Amino acid sequence: MFRKVLIANRGEIALRINRACQELGVPTVAIFSEADRQSLHVRHADEAFCVGPGPVARSYLNIPNIISAALISGADAIHPGYGFLAENARFAEICNDHGLRFIGPKPSVIATMGDKATARRVMAEAGVATTPGSGIVDSIDEARLEIEKVGYPVLLKASAGGGGKGMREVHAPEDLERMFTTARAEAEASFNDGRLYVEKLILKPRHIEVQLLGDEQGNLVHLGERDCSIQKPSHQKLIEESPAFELPVHVRDRLYEMALAAGRAVNYTNAGTLEFLVSGEQIYFMEMNTRIQVEHPVTEMVYGVDLVKEQIRIAAGESLNFTQSDLHPVGHAIEVRVNAEDPSNNFAPAAGTLTRVEFPGGPGVRVDTHMFSGAQIPPYYDSMIAKIIAHARTREAAIARMERALAETRIEGVKTTIDFARDVLRDPNFIAGGVGVEYLATSFLPNWTAPGEPASV
Amino acid sequence: MTRTIRSVFEETIASRIRPLAEAMQASDLIRVSVAETDLEIELIRHPRPAATPAAAVVDPSAAAASEATYEIVAADQVGIVRFTRPIAVEGTVLENDREIAYVEALGIRNPVRSKGKGRIASVFVIDGQAVEYGQPLFALDRGA
Repeated sequence: MFRKVLIANRGEIALRINRACQELGVPTVAIFSEADRQSLHVRHADEAFCVGPGPVARSYLNIPNIISAALISGADAIHPGYGFLAENARFAEICNDHGLRFIGPKPSVIATMGDKATARRVMAEAGVATTPGSGIVDSIDEARLEIEKVGYPVLLKASAGGGGKGMREVHAPEDLERMFTTARAEAEASFNDGRLYVEKLILKPRHIEVQLLGDEQGNLVHLGERDCSIQKPSHQKLIEESPAFELPVHVRDRLYEMALAAGRAVNYTNAGTLEFLVSGEQIYFMEMNTRIQVEHPVTEMVYGVDLVKEQIRIAAGESLNFTQSDLHPVGHAIEVRVNAEDPSNNFAPAAGTLTRVEFPGGPGVRVDTHMFSGAQIPPYYDSMIAKIIAHARTREAAIARMERALAETRIEGVKTTIDFARDVLRDPNFIAGGVGVEYLATSFLPNWTAPGEPASV
Repeated sequence: MTRTIRSVFEETIASRIRPLAEAMQASDLIRVSVAETDLEIELIRHPRPAATPAAAVVDPSAAAASEATYEIVAADQVGIVRFTRPIAVEGTVLENDREIAYVEALGIRNPVRSKGKGRIASVFVIDGQAVEYGQPLFALDRGA
């Protein structure tokens, strides 16, 4: 096991990793920006280093200061969490060059899967179905030619992308020029890489992803699927659940087979997720995330496996102490992401001070958060302030439990998505289950009225 | 439960450092060094320009003027700080811009310069100490 682990992240995931390390008996080193000095992840770690000012480029992406903090504190491993440097193959290489174990897959695998266009090619070679689409399109004219092959509607996607950034739907030829320009500009601003590719837009698909864990001895298992179809108009996930409700058994089995085939094709190690679009019987590979994901707790709840601890054990060279036949999902888990955002104003992010914070508890409820009464939300970072997870025997009971948990939650000082999520949980179509990724943006939101607002006529 | 570095540190602050600091405050000492078998403590008091009695009426412009006299030189990198020879100590007068220390990070020497003339009013670190981003290294008296 490691001597000491540096956690190269902030917020709830930094706390989550710290908890896993503490339970494994491994001391931790936190890093923080000047804006996060009072943050909970700094207080919970055994040691902490300020690595730069608030803006991420100078702190949480400041590779020299992060590596230096690891070396002078005597850490021998770095956990990148999600976002920031988690899928930066160069960072993983730099860690290895300095004798620091990067807790994640091999840098070459991160590079292969991180470049979405390359990943699609590798997956197609492994026999995993991908959405019809193109390689990199360098110009609007090239995009137009590729779109003619697959037909409208299409998605323009950033090759370096993720989290819905640099992604635009194009429904008609006359929209192409405008969408291409904005997608490229957004990709350049977000990833410093403006390369785009075209993907056929599958109508009303569900977003279903499969969790993989692989050790360095060659064992690879899946831990079922997560349905992440409830997404904001910006394609960011809002509610996730496991298992996917009423997914036909043969479709589910094919998803698992494809995910394992994909993992084997790249000799995948550590935790990773294969994201698919599922439309009826059709399954299309979208992308692979070579890191722990925000929504990992729903899998942990139904499988009773601590994915973050497994990541650390695997990176330390230990083999998985279970096989596929040992893994059995129990019940149903739902996660609601609580964001400091205003749902009635296009989910505009809010910064400020939380004057009052009360989180729910009780049976089957888990809260992953770095928030407390008096905590600041700096303007530089992601707007997610908590994840509330409810686990019960059935989906119906999990929804009821989540409603109860959200009713207990009080967050004052900034606008949040709590009331919005409660309205989604009460929506008959959500309750019926199996809605597609477009549902929230195109069906639910147009008919939704913010609490306290007069109903539109 | 193993004792973490942090808990040991917090105990040390409570049992050894705080009483020393209180004793320092009660006197006019600005620096105290204590060496024992298992522990070496050095406390350096931050320069506090013209202490104002709490009850007194404070003229904000005067306070601002005297505070502005000291300029904090802080670390830009996470690393190990090393003093550059000739070593600048409290009271050293720098006639012009010079390197007073460097922060060694990943084998690279990142100079810490005085950026002009001044007198070293305080040194907050010891040679070979690990420093973080923004950590105060020196206080410079520009008015000297």
